Amino acid sequence: MPKIKKKGQAGAAKNYITRTQAVKKLQLSLPDFRKLCIWKGIYPREPRNKKKVTKSVTASTTFYYTKDIQYLLHEPLLQKFRDQKVLEKKISRALGRGDVSDAARFERHAARPEATGKPRYTLNHIIRERYPTFNDALRDLDDCLSMLFLFANLPSTSAVPAKMIARCERLCLEFQHYLIVSHSLRKSFLSIKGIYYQANIQGEDILWLVPYKFNQRIVGDVDFRIMGTFVEFYMTLLGFVNYRLYSSIGLKYPPKFDQLKDENGAELGAFSLEGVNMATQGETTQAITNGEEQKVDPKVQAEVDKIIKQLKEDESKTDETAEEDAEADDEEKPTDSIDKFEPVAPGGDVLPQPAYSGTDPSQLFANFTFYLSRETPRQPLEFILRAFGCKRIGWDSVLGEGAFTNDESDSSITHHIIDRPVVQAATSEEGDGEDNQTAQKVGPNQRYPGRIYVQPQWVWDCVNDEELKSPELYAPGAALPPHLSPFVKAAPGQYDPTLPLEAQQTEAEAIEADLEDAKDGAAEEGSDVENDMDVDEAEDDEEEEDAEEDVEEDEEGDVEEDEEESKTLQRQLELEAELQGKKVQNKKVDPKTKSKLEQRKALEKKAKEEAEDLERAKGMLSKKKRKLFEQMQYTNNKKSAQDEKLRAKRRKLEKEKAQKA
Amino acid sequence: MGPKTIEKKRKVQDPEPESEDEIAPDFDGALSQSEDEFDSDFDDDKEHEQDGEEESGSEASDDEDDEGSLLSDDIPSDAEGDKAMGKLVLEDEEEELKIEIPGVDPKRPEKDDGEKNYRVEKDANGNERYVYDEIDPVYDSDDSDAQEAPNTIGDIPMSFYDSYPHIGYDINGKKIMRPATKDALDALLDSIEVPKGWTGLTDIHTGNPLNLNDEELELVRRVQMGMIPNDLEDPYPETVEYFTGIEEKMPLSAAPEPKRRFLPSKNEAKKIMKLVRAIREGRILPYKPPEEREKEEEEVEQYFDIWQDEVPTEVNPLHIPAPKLPPPGFDMSYNPPAEYLPTKEEREEWEKLDPEEREKEYLPQKYDSLRKVPGYGEVVKERFERCMDLYLAPRVRKNRLNIDPNSLLPKLPSPSELKPFPTVAQTVFRGHDGRVRSVAIDPTGVAVASGGDDGTVRVWELLTGRQVWSVKLSSEEAVNTVRWRPSKDSFILSAAVGEEVYLMVPTHASVTPALEQASRDVLSAGFGYATGGQTHGAAPGKEPPAKWARPGAKLEDEGVLIRITVRSTVKVINWHRKGDHFATVSPSGQRSSVAIHTLSKHLTQIPFRKLSGLAQTASFHPLRPLFFVATQRTIRCYDLQKLELVKVVQPGAKWISSFDIHPGGDNLIVGSYDKRLLWHDLDLSIRPYKTMRFHSEAVRQVKYHKGGLPLFADASDDGTLQIFHGKVPNDQLENPTLSRQGA
Repeated sequence: MPKIKKKGQAGAAKNYITRTQAVKKLQLSLPDFRKLCIWKGIYPREPRNKKKVTKSVTASTTFYYTKDIQYLLHEPLLQKFRDQKVLEKKISRALGRGDVSDAARFERHAARPEATGKPRYTLNHIIRERYPTFNDALRDLDDCLSMLFLFANLPSTSAVPAKMIARCERLCLEFQHYLIVSHSLRKSFLSIKGIYYQANIQGEDILWLVPYKFNQRIVGDVDFRIMGTFVEFYMTLLGFVNYRLYSSIGLKYPPKFDQLKDENGAELGAFSLEGVNMATQGETTQAITNGEEQKVDPKVQAEVDKIIKQLKEDESKTDETAEEDAEADDEEKPTDSIDKFEPVAPGGDVLPQPAYSGTDPSQLFANFTFYLSRETPRQPLEFILRAFGCKRIGWDSVLGEGAFTNDESDSSITHHIIDRPVVQAATSEEGDGEDNQTAQKVGPNQRYPGRIYVQPQWVWDCVNDEELKSPELYAPGAALPPHLSPFVKAAPGQYDPTLPLEAQQTEAEAIEADLEDAKDGAAEEGSDVENDMDVDEAEDDEEEEDAEEDVEEDEEGDVEEDEEESKTLQRQLELEAELQGKKVQNKKVDPKTKSKLEQRKALEKKAKEEAEDLERAKGMLSKKKRKLFEQMQYTNNKKSAQDEKLRAKRRKLEKEKAQKA
Repeated sequence: MGPKTIEKKRKVQDPEPESEDEIAPDFDGALSQSEDEFDSDFDDDKEHEQDGEEESGSEASDDEDDEGSLLSDDIPSDAEGDKAMGKLVLEDEEEELKIEIPGVDPKRPEKDDGEKNYRVEKDANGNERYVYDEIDPVYDSDDSDAQEAPNTIGDIPMSFYDSYPHIGYDINGKKIMRPATKDALDALLDSIEVPKGWTGLTDIHTGNPLNLNDEELELVRRVQMGMIPNDLEDPYPETVEYFTGIEEKMPLSAAPEPKRRFLPSKNEAKKIMKLVRAIREGRILPYKPPEEREKEEEEVEQYFDIWQDEVPTEVNPLHIPAPKLPPPGFDMSYNPPAEYLPTKEEREEWEKLDPEEREKEYLPQKYDSLRKVPGYGEVVKERFERCMDLYLAPRVRKNRLNIDPNSLLPKLPSPSELKPFPTVAQTVFRGHDGRVRSVAIDPTGVAVASGGDDGTVRVWELLTGRQVWSVKLSSEEAVNTVRWRPSKDSFILSAAVGEEVYLMVPTHASVTPALEQASRDVLSAGFGYATGGQTHGAAPGKEPPAKWARPGAKLEDEGVLIRITVRSTVKVINWHRKGDHFATVSPSGQRSSVAIHTLSKHLTQIPFRKLSGLAQTASFHPLRPLFFVATQRTIRCYDLQKLELVKVVQPGAKWISSFDIHPGGDNLIVGSYDKRLLWHDLDLSIRPYKTMRFHSEAVRQVKYHKGGLPLFADASDDGTLQIFHGKVPNDQLENPTLSRQGA
C-alpha cells in the first residue's frame, strides 16, 4: 500500500508562503521586510489555485515563493537590519534613562538613511546580484530614471532629506552629461504629465519622464518611506551605471563638480568632464558650456552676476509688464554688440533656412547658436539642444549661470527661442516712433534681424522628426501644429493623425460622409432657390425639409431597408402631402447621390454576408477557441470604435474649418 | 462677616488706640451701616475700631484692605505667606506690601546696626538682667506698634509729682501709683526666706516643690554664662596624626619589593596594543567636529565598475520582469490634434466616474503654448503607485496571442461553391391527417413514402407531390416508421405500426407488372422456409421472437403482403444494403429490443441476450458486415460474421437520438437529444471529431446524403433542418472538412 499523502505537505501548499509567514521566518519587522523585498526585487506571486495554497479564507493574502524567501535568509543585509534594531533599542533605553548624551552618541553611529541621507550599508552586492550584466541594468533603467528625476525636482521635507534630493539631482545631471556626450538621446515628447525622453544606450531603449519644474503637489496617501527605499536603491544603481557609461567613453567618473556654479544655478554647467588618462587630463577637460565662460574667474563672474542680478531686480520692481522688464534687461546689460546702428525692423526678414547638410541626426543643431528667452524652460531645452549637437546656448541671466552669452543682442545667435504672445500694435508703433536713439533697445514685438525666432515646440518636433522643421509654423504667436508623440508606432488599421482622413477611413465611412455632404449641399441649394421664389412659403419649406430629413433618418436607421420599401414610403409621403394640401415636392435625387446610395446598399449587403460567413465559421470552432476569438474580437472592436470616433471628430472639425474658410 | 471678625481679633490683640489725628472725616457716612451692626457692648471700643477701618480704607483699595487684614492675623497660613512672598518678589516697588509681611520688619536690621535690642538691668539678687525690647510684631499699617507711653502726663517734669503717691495717669484716667522703692522691696524680700535652689516649680512626679541641687545649679550657671556645661569634656583635644609624612626607620614588613612592581603591566600593554592597532587600522579616528565628519562621509560614496567581470547568466524561468509602462500616446501631448480633445459629454462622463474606474487617469488637454502648461498634480502619486505595483503586485505571466483573430477561423468554402444543395421547398405533399412520423424515398428516386399519426402509409410522386397509393394499416396506432427495401429489383416498402411491421408492394406508375411480380416473389419466398425453420429453429415451448403472417385479405388486396408481429412497439427499421435483412428496434422491448429479420427465410433473430442500456437505433454498415447498435450513451459496433463486439463509440452525448453512417463507411454522425450533432471518424477515435451545437432543441434525426454529395442534414425539435457540407476526402490522412450551410 502506498504511503498516504497528507494534504498541505507538498506541491503548491509548500511552494507558496504568505507574507506573514515570511516575515515571521525572517524575524524581521514588516518595514524591514518591505525594504528587503524592494531591494532584492522579490515580488508576490499569484498561485494558480489559492485554495490549494492556503486554508485561510481571506482573499487578499499575498503569497511569495518559498524559494524566494529562503534566498532572503542568506542576505547579509538581514544582519544589518538586526543591528539596527539593537541600536534603536539602545537609543530608546538611553532616552528612557534620561541619558541624552548617550543617546546622541548612539544616534551618531546610527545607520539611518532618513536622518543622514546615507546608510552605513551599501547595496552594491544587490546591484550585482539583480543585474548580472550591464544590459540587464539598462533594461531596468526606466523606472530608475523616472524616479530619480522626480525626486530631483521635489522640495525637501522631513521625509525627503535635502541630501537625497541633491544626490538625485547630481546623478541625473551626470547621466544627462553622458547622453549629451554620447549623443544617445533619440526622442522627446512634451506631454501634459511632463517631458518624456527616450535614449538608446547600447541598443537598449530607455524611456523616462521628467516632470515640469513646478512644486509638486503631494497627495495625502503617498508613503515616502517606500519611495525612499526605492530611491536609495536607484541611486546606487544609477551611480554604477553612470560609472560604467562614463568609463565606456573614456571619461572620468565622477566628473568635476563646481559647487559655486551649482549654487548659481548652472545645473549642467556645474560639471566638467575629464578624460581618464591623467597625462592628458588638462587637455581633455571639456568645456561643458562654452569656451568664453571658462576663461572668466568663476568667483569674479559670480560677483558680477550678483551685482547685475541686484540691478535687475531693482529695475524689475519699477517695471510692470514682462515686456517692459525685458527691455530694461537689455538696457542694463553691457552690450558689446557692434550692430547698434542697424535699423530695427519689426518682424525683420527671415534669413534663408540654413540647410542641414549632415546626415547624422545627433548633429542636428551643431551649427547654430541658440538664445533662450526668459520664459522658456531652460533645463530641458539646454539638455535637448546639447544632446543634438548644439555647442552654444545663451540665455537670459535670470535662468541661471552657464550660458554662452547673457546678451540677447549677440550677433552670433542664429535661433531665438521665444514663448511670448505677440503684443498688440500700439506698443509696436511706439517702438517705431522712437527710432535711432534707442536702437539697441528692442521693443516687445521687435526682432533682431538675422536670426530665427521660434517657439520651444520647434526644437522637439525637429528632434523627433530628425530634420529641421520650417520655422514659419512655429513663429512666435503662431498657432502651433499639433505636437505628436514619437513613441506611437503606426499600426495598420489604426488611426494616424498625420495621414489625411481619406487615406484611412473605411469605405462605409467615406460613403456616409459623402452622402452627408451631398445632403447638406442639397439642403442649402433648395433653401436658396425657395427663398428666391417666395417668402410666404418659408414655413412650408421648413416642414418639407423636416419631412425630407425624416426620410433620410429612416434610411439611416434601417440599414436593411429595401429600395421598394423606400419607394412605398416616398409614396406615402406624397399622399400625406396631398392631404395637407401642399405642393408635392418631388424629391430630386441627383445621380451622384443615387450612386452613392447604391454603393452603400451594396456595402451593407456585403457586410451582412460577411457577418453570416463569420457566424458559420465561428460555429466550426471549438468552445475554447471560440471564446478566445470572441475576446480578441471584442478588444479589436473597441479599438476600432475608438478610431472611428476619432475619425468622425476629425471629419466634423475639417468640415467646420472648410465652412469657415 | 469675615472682615468684621478679623477686626475683632485685631482689637483683642492690640487694644491700644490709634492716634486720633489720622482719622479721615469723610468716612462717616460710608461706615454708618457697619456701625449699626455692632453690638452695644462694644460701644466703648467702637471708635477705635472705626479708626482702624477708616485708616485702612484711606490708604488702599478694598482688596488690599482685605488682604491686609488677613495678613495681620496671628497665624497666617503658609499659603498666604507664600503668596505674600510672591507678591513681594513681583511688586517689590510697593512699599505697602513690604510692610504687610508678617514677622519681617524691613527697618529692623538698621536698628541692629545702631544699638542693641536689650538693656541690662539688675534683678532682685543684684544679678544682671537682660531686658529685651518688646518685639515689634509689625502688623498691619493701621496697627501702630510704637511703644505707647504708659503715662499720659505729657511733657511735664516728673518732679511735679514728687509730692503725690502717683506719678501720672494711664489712658483710662486711672492713677499710676509710684512704684515701691528699693528699700521697701529689699525689706520685703529679706522678710521672706527662700531655700537654696528654690525654683517655685512643682515636681510633677512627686508633687514636692522642685528644688535644684548644687550640680544642677552649676550646670544652669554654666549654660547661663555661655560656658561648656560639663567640665569633663574637652572641646578642643589635641589632634592625633595617624598618618604622617615622616618615614619610619623600620619597615612594617621585611619582605622584599616584588618584581611585578618594576615590570610594565602585560594587561595594560595588551590594552594599549589594541588601541594602537585600532588606530593603525583606522578604526579609531582622531576627533573631528561633526560637520567635517559628515562631509567626509559624503565623499565616501565610491563607485566602480561593478560589471567588470560580468557573466551572462541564464534567466530564471520563474522570474517575471516588471512590465514597462506604456509610452505616451498622442492624446497625452500638451498640444494634441484637435480630434483627441474630449467633447463636453465625454468630459462630463469622465468627471462623473470614480477616479479608480476611469479608463484613463487624465483628460487630453490643449495648451496653445508651452509656457501655459501647468504642473501635473498626480506625478508623485502615479510614481508612488508604480512603486507599489513593483513591490506589491503579484506578477503573473499571461500569454497574449498577438495574432489576427481571423486566423483562428477555419478556411471554409463559400456556400455558393458547394452547390447543389436544396435551398427552397420544391413540393409540398398534402394528405395526411395529423403528424407525419416518417418519410422515405424509394431507391429509384421516383416515389416517396410517408407514414403518420393517422395510421396510413402513403406513397407520393416525388416530383409532382401527387398521392399515388395509400393504405390504412391501423385505426388507433400511428405509423412510426416507413422504409424502402434498398434494391432496385424490387419495390418493397416496410412500415412499422405499434408492435407490427408490414411489408408491402405499393402500386406506382413506375412499377411495371414484372417488377411488381418480382417484389411479390421476394416477399412470399420465405413462407415455405419459415414453417420449416420455425420447427427446427426455436424450441417448441418457447414463444418465437416474431410471427410472420399474411395480414389478411383486405390488406392483401391493397398490396400489403406480410405482417410481422414482434414483442414490443417498433420505432426504427433499417435495411441491410442487399435487402435480405432488416433490423428493427423497439426501445421499450427490454431484451428483445433489437431484432434482425431475414426476408428470404421469414426468420427473426434476436442477436442480444442482454444489452447495456436502452437500444435507440440500429443500422448495418454500408459496405462491411458490421452492425451498429446505439444505446442511450454509446454506439456499439458488432461483426456479424465473427459475432463479436468490434468497437464502442462514445459520442459523449447524454441521450443519442439517431445516427447515420457515411456511405464511405468510416464516418458517423450522431444526433442527440441534448441539442448536439456529433461527427465521428471511426478510424480516428471513439470520441467525436467535431461537436456542433446549432439547435436550440433536441436533434431528432441525422442523415447523410445518399446520392454522393458531401452533404448531411439534421432535423431538430426547434423546427429547423440544417444542411451541412461535410466532405470526406479520398486521402485517408486528411481530416474531413465540415461546414454548415444554413437552415
